[in-house]
Amino acid sequence: MSGGGRPPDASPTAGPATGDEPATGDEPATGDEPATGDEPATGDEPATGDEPRPATYYHLARAVLYREFLIFVRYPANAIGGIVVSLFFFAALFLGGQLLAGQALADSIEGIVVGYFLWTLAVGAYSSVSNDIGSEVQWGTLERHITTPFGFAPVALLKGVAKVVRTFLTSAVILAVMLLATGTRLSLAPVTVVVVAGLSIVSVLGLGFAAGGVTVLYKRIGNWLNLLQFGFVGLISAPVFDLPWTRVLPLAHGSAMLQRVMVDGVRLWEFPLADLALLVAVAVGYLLGGYLVFQYATGRARRLGVLGDY
Amino acid sequence: MARSATSARGGPRERDETDAARGAESPDDQPGPPALAVEGLTKRFGDGDDAVVAVDDVSLRVERGSVVGLLGPNGAGKTTLIKCALGIVIPDAGSVRVFGTDVRDGRRAAYADVDAMLEGARNDYWRLTVRENLRYFATIGGVDPDSVAARHDRLLDRLDLADKADTPVRDLSRGMKQKVSLASVLAGGAELVFLDEPTLGLDVESARTLRAELRRLAAEEGLTIVVSSHDMTTIEAVCDRVVMLSNGRIVADDTVEALLGAAASDAVRVASPDLDAETVDGLRERFEIVGVDREATPPAVTVAAGGDRLYELTDALRAAGVTVSDIRTVQPDLEDVFLERTGTVPDAAGAGLGGESS
Repeated sequence: MSGGGRPPDASPTAGPATGDEPATGDEPATGDEPATGDEPATGDEPATGDEPRPATYYHLARAVLYREFLIFVRYPANAIGGIVVSLFFFAALFLGGQLLAGQALADSIEGIVVGYFLWTLAVGAYSSVSNDIGSEVQWGTLERHITTPFGFAPVALLKGVAKVVRTFLTSAVILAVMLLATGTRLSLAPVTVVVVAGLSIVSVLGLGFAAGGVTVLYKRIGNWLNLLQFGFVGLISAPVFDLPWTRVLPLAHGSAMLQRVMVDGVRLWEFPLADLALLVAVAVGYLLGGYLVFQYATGRARRLGVLGDY
Repeated sequence: MARSATSARGGPRERDETDAARGAESPDDQPGPPALAVEGLTKRFGDGDDAVVAVDDVSLRVERGSVVGLLGPNGAGKTTLIKCALGIVIPDAGSVRVFGTDVRDGRRAAYADVDAMLEGARNDYWRLTVRENLRYFATIGGVDPDSVAARHDRLLDRLDLADKADTPVRDLSRGMKQKVSLASVLAGGAELVFLDEPTLGLDVESARTLRAELRRLAAEEGLTIVVSSHDMTTIEAVCDRVVMLSNGRIVADDTVEALLGAAASDAVRVASPDLDAETVDGLRERFEIVGVDREATPPAVTVAAGGDRLYELTDALRAAGVTVSDIRTVQPDLEDVFLERTGTVPDAAGAGLGGESS
């Protein structure tokens, strides 16, 4: 984990002992010694007992995920609010559809539930990432993540993972309520559903990073980008059979696969390898693309001097 | 990271004093490279006629363990300079080295030792508690938070935040939030810390506490601190050395004592309604005019007139038919020094002031 380490050759006292001294931090005896600071530089014992150790990626992951967890459990109103709003929309969709379409809707209710489930996942992942970046810009905490010795990429990736996990939790509740309310039965093989749905929304995560990057540069446009999430409906219901090229769009191919998983009960290993490969390729492609846009945008913001303008 | 602990052993007090005596010139006896070395830094914003040169060919060294103030009005380039040093703003020309590591090349290595509290930013998460913030930002800064738990406790103690450690930051007062922001910046054990307007928006009492804390932290933790402010009191109270910026350029760079001492230079301020331009020009031929204030009622002129020169000055004034309304010796503060250096009296003191004192 060299990323978190500090160059040992840069000790300010440059005493022969200090540079080579392992930062063990397990010397409790010295801890009682006051750090008076006016002693001559002896260089052979720490003034304080808490000799800092470099953080590893494990510490970084723990810190980032723990923060997300804390905010999730400490402010449940946000999550519950999101669930309620999603269910309200679904109720409107379902009841309105029943009035208008009657039996036709009942026949396709499974597809609608699956599509809606994926939509809540996608919106959750997208908006949490792009809004998060927007907020962090406002708070002045984004710079601190960019100027970390770890580099921004692992921090961003971990945050993305945290958002996806969190979104899965809330969308699972939404899915359960939808199934109970409509009396629909779906195949819910956990591994298959999580892998297919997860990879599907990774592409959206990439869009979220791109939107976040644009927000860093053009703060006002950022809000408009939130409207993009309604476009996800189109992607989820993209006609991948009639127009095969739409499969390379985010969500579209994954959505078609998720329908087969949840409606037809297809398992992960029963899919052709090409389908799985395309799912992974789309996920990685958009995530990477989105991250590059973010990187470019923050790079440009640094040159323009707008990063860290409050 | 081990650095903050190790440098505390080196006796930062001692270092401060040597810094003060040495000024910015002789870093050679320092072990290793300086905390901050800026060379020919230039940053321009905008294009064509609208272009603004925020930082104009600035070179600056900050030795380890010193507390340096960046003083200048809004728009002088302080914040841009700091952001360039952090790598948040990419300069058009010049280089920034932090503990010998170029901020541009070895970005990550440089980041481990530097952190900043930027003006107007929260810098921390209000929904987390104080301690959670310290732990989080220590990790982000590259330090295992468990290894610095005791240090965090000490930090909270010093900043009088110990009993608020488990309170979410959003529930704290403004002054306390500011202190949490400072603590979170120090939590990662950065050796070089930039504080941009740290007392902005604080009431008098909180500002005073914070200044005292900064001074103490610098001494006890052996930190190198660069404080930017347009508030002279903060700079005067906290810093060993002052770098004055105006229009993106350094106009003065010396110890507080030297700047004040040199500016004093036994100057006297003479006020009289008879001080018209002609009379002042006449005086200028024989004396060193430090400042002219035509706006004052009556107009006033500040003249360097130590020792016997004072008698010569009074003679000259009498000869010129000047009836003196008021005469007093000048006790300058940094504000006067700054006014002097930024063009009120062009080049009257010049760069020589700093030289005289050292």
